[in-house]
Amino acid sequence: MSHVLAVLEQRDGSLRKVSHEVVTGARRLADALGSGEVHALVLAAGPVQGTEASGRYGADKVITATHAGFGQYAPEGFARVAAEQAKAGGYGAVIFAASAQGKDLAPRVAARLGVPLAADVTEVAVDGGAVIVTRPVYAGKALLQVKVTASPAVVSLRPNVFTAVERPKAGAVETVAVSGDAGRVVVKGIKAATGGSLDVAEAPIVVSGGRGLKEPANFKLLEELAQAFGGKAAVGASRAVVDAGWRPHGDQVGQTGKTVSPSLYVAVGISGAIQHLAGMRTAKVIVAINKDKDAPIFKVADYGIVGDLFEIVPRLTDEIKKLRG
Amino acid sequence: MKIAVCIKRVADSETRVKVAADGKSLDEAGVKFILNPYDEFAVEEALQRKEKAGSGEVVVIAYGPQSAQETIRTALAMGADRGVLLEAASVPADGLVVARALAAELKDGGFDLILFGKMAIDDYNQQVGPMVAELLALPCVTCVAHLNLAAGKGTAEREVEGGMEEVEFPLPAVLTTDKGLNEPRYPALKGIMAAKKKPLDVKPAALGAAGLEVLALTPPPERKEGRIVGEGVAAVPELVKLLREEAKVL
Amino acid sequence: MIPSQYQPPLPLDRLILKEGTEGAGDKMELDVLFVGAGPAGLAGAIELARLAKQDASVGELNIGVLEKAEALGEHSLSGAVVNPRAMRELFPDLKDADLPFRGPVTNEAVYLLTAGGKVRLPTPPTMQNHGHYVASICEIVRWLGQQAEALGVNIFTGFPAAALLTDGDRVTGVRTAASGLGRDGQPLSSYMAPNDLTAKVTALSEGTRGLLSQAWLEWQRINSENPQIFALGVKEIWDTKRPLDRVIHTLGWPLSNDAFGGSFCYPLAPNLVALGIVVGLDYGAVDLDIHVLLQRLKGHSLFREYLEGGEMVEWGAKTIPEGGYYALPSRRSGDGVVLLGDAAGFVDVPSLKGIHYAMQSGMYAARAIFQALKSGDGSAGRLAEYDRLVNGSYLVSDLHRTRNMRLAFRDGFYAGGLKAGLMTLTGGRFPGGRIAMHADVDAPRHADGAEPFAPDGKLTFSKVDAVFKAGNTTRDSIPSHLIVGQDVTPEVARFYTHVCPAGVYEEVDGKLRVNAPNCVDCKATDVLGPRWTPREGGSGPKYKRM
Repeated sequence: MSHVLAVLEQRDGSLRKVSHEVVTGARRLADALGSGEVHALVLAAGPVQGTEASGRYGADKVITATHAGFGQYAPEGFARVAAEQAKAGGYGAVIFAASAQGKDLAPRVAARLGVPLAADVTEVAVDGGAVIVTRPVYAGKALLQVKVTASPAVVSLRPNVFTAVERPKAGAVETVAVSGDAGRVVVKGIKAATGGSLDVAEAPIVVSGGRGLKEPANFKLLEELAQAFGGKAAVGASRAVVDAGWRPHGDQVGQTGKTVSPSLYVAVGISGAIQHLAGMRTAKVIVAINKDKDAPIFKVADYGIVGDLFEIVPRLTDEIKKLRG
Repeated sequence: MKIAVCIKRVADSETRVKVAADGKSLDEAGVKFILNPYDEFAVEEALQRKEKAGSGEVVVIAYGPQSAQETIRTALAMGADRGVLLEAASVPADGLVVARALAAELKDGGFDLILFGKMAIDDYNQQVGPMVAELLALPCVTCVAHLNLAAGKGTAEREVEGGMEEVEFPLPAVLTTDKGLNEPRYPALKGIMAAKKKPLDVKPAALGAAGLEVLALTPPPERKEGRIVGEGVAAVPELVKLLREEAKVL
Repeated sequence: MIPSQYQPPLPLDRLILKEGTEGAGDKMELDVLFVGAGPAGLAGAIELARLAKQDASVGELNIGVLEKAEALGEHSLSGAVVNPRAMRELFPDLKDADLPFRGPVTNEAVYLLTAGGKVRLPTPPTMQNHGHYVASICEIVRWLGQQAEALGVNIFTGFPAAALLTDGDRVTGVRTAASGLGRDGQPLSSYMAPNDLTAKVTALSEGTRGLLSQAWLEWQRINSENPQIFALGVKEIWDTKRPLDRVIHTLGWPLSNDAFGGSFCYPLAPNLVALGIVVGLDYGAVDLDIHVLLQRLKGHSLFREYLEGGEMVEWGAKTIPEGGYYALPSRRSGDGVVLLGDAAGFVDVPSLKGIHYAMQSGMYAARAIFQALKSGDGSAGRLAEYDRLVNGSYLVSDLHRTRNMRLAFRDGFYAGGLKAGLMTLTGGRFPGGRIAMHADVDAPRHADGAEPFAPDGKLTFSKVDAVFKAGNTTRDSIPSHLIVGQDVTPEVARFYTHVCPAGVYEEVDGKLRVNAPNCVDCKATDVLGPRWTPREGGSGPKYKRM
């Protein structure tokens, strides 16, 4: 029975949250393939905080491979060790997160193993013993279903999709020192993003405003709502308000602005012209607040409130603050 | 400086996606094809580096159908010196097959730099560049948003969650380019005319056994019908409850 | 309200430049330059390239075609049902099946619509389309472009021509538009200077309401017996559940008595339908909105049955010159220059044909230009051969036969219909004599109290949504390319809001608001109000199969 190798990600000695999604996805696959085990692999310079949690999400074993040169991401060293581990363990599948690091590491490992990479997938399944994945293509305008005929199946999971699910397993932690070169490509460090706001295209939550806000000063309401989400939300704008000069072009969602795919998109005072919808239609959940019950945005929104945004938005900000305690 | 840029012909991002009769591919009727936007940064970077060095050659290589010659001509019109088309009826879903064909073409080229766009806007595979690097045993940095080159080595910045990663690497190297690296030039009139006379070799692409099989291409599932939660301020607590418990986004 | 009072004049000082005027970046010399890669320009380039190839004494010519759209066909829009005559002459070795048409017209119907129903009319002889083909002008243009490139013609897309270069009265080339300017007109980091292209002969094949063509005619004081008049066509393409097997034309509803026009509905494929409405811009009601008329038209049972359950895949708009024979400029050639196609007015309204006339004019121009190049003489005298060829051809005799038909409708639908009927019966002889016509911009407008229109987003669409479907991704920070007159009153602002099908104009608090990036280059307001000028290449719509 082949096992599944889940390659986790750490930064500065702590396991990154996306690793739980990787274990969740690996567990799902291992269960579908039969009674396989999930072995998690972490590459680091020393012990990593949070690895013991992997058991909770379904890892039977967690292997921390340490190397002095692995304090920062070392693309070649990581690729070599991960590929060696994958080969040595005879895994049937190797799972990565399609995070910034994962998108860099997974192709290298796949090439070393001489197999393809099914990248950025949103679904994994098994049919007749073969791994089948689904991945969005054409900017989310279509889904591609692909069967992996090579072995091992190397897959990277789109972040924020495989919501971490607890499925406790042993999670026994091992540490193994690895030798060899860390590689020719050396990461010196990570410069934190200089103050400033989150980019609308990157933020997991986007709060967008349109002409319904009446004046540029009223965008303050949205900034307060964004802040209430605790640094995870960006403020976007419809084309109309960007054209009117109220907000910078970098905040524009839709048409020649940006396409965003956040978990939550809140459209405030936006009627919902097609060009705006084209920019945010792949958001997981869409909330619309507008005083016109016939506004086209309500047809696309999962949840809507009809009413005066000047009353609703501050109340929403309060409720979110309360929730976050 | 001798630089190779690997480019791809892709469907324009405004394409309305219709599935072809085979249920597995894009219906190309009326679809406009362009040079992959991320590849434009790669071509521009190559041109700038060659101009800075004062001499050299920029070669663009595409893996794709006959019509990809037009895409190569676009890069030639921007200023690349010559082009190579590795011709295949279609681009396989298996990026390793493409990487192997490209690596075979690049192997003995003696390139100081091999550039790719970070990903193609049609398949979002984001893998052929680093795979080619592995096959050629060359150092590789992906998603380069800022680049400095000196003799024999370089430093790059790439975007990661929460900041920019600073990376050092030796040359020759494979780099994949991200938005913001530079401002791609538009082909000048003279460039467009000159492009026609520049050499463009067409060779059959080395085919390989694919390890991925496309089963289906489908439109995304229809969004479930939404609902108006209520009117006015009174509906807010209910909305928050739904977002937390039903939609699970809070 | 008379629109001409608020229309600024053509900015001739910007449009006619002395060659050598500073401001250009790159310069390029060609033998012949075609401005506009539509059917006229491309057919001309193809014919010219062929003539040159076949003649050793001339050898290979350096022929260039400038096109403002980012790719061929993206600014081309037409119905269309095409007469294959010119195509066959240009490609004698090809069979009809090899030509870039969708399919032969097998069935057709003409209806007079009322709000609640329709009356089938016998197809007027001018509208007989047997032997003609349904086509997409975008597909025709892309195909012609391939043929042209195969013959060595250089096609430069993304380069709008912004001014004529001149030496005395002679046209020596064009200057293209600059790109990469910010909203305030200041150069951005992506700035690219204009280019000067000089040529022994410049062929202006700019299409309807061509800017440089207008400028040249005005500069050279060339008149026509009647001013040119225009119609605006607004068109959509639909993926339909129910197949359409015939070409349909309608008259009547939703047009009122003082608006001339009708609608068309053509099958590009059984389930891919092109439909549109065409209305003369001399209509009387100040709040008539042609885009809205099309939206209403779709609700009529005749169209609804095809469209229900389907999806609108493209939308677009363009003007059509309707003046016919009497609006043709007295000469369409001059020193170093010729005018082709729609830019010259070669459109026959009663039969709704312009594409084959455009191509034919391009071919005649090519022959005249070729002779001029052979003799080394691109003067007006030599190029007048183009006018002689056109005047002696079916092009002009066709237009002459129907010379008064559109003009008859100046007096309204019923009187016009009666006169038009008589003209058809008598082959144009009765009523004879020229019917005088005023320019659209001089036609007075009155308020009519139009019903408000609310799109449903499924069958009917707002202008904002429609423009998105035109594939318009013009850079939002581009400077406005439209020259608005002074003292625009709120009433005139509202008028412009209705004239423009793309939502460029809005009346906000009594003032005119200009959303220039919305513009799809249809030229409707250029006819009736604010002047259109070219903006950076690639701006505007991206039609695919219009």
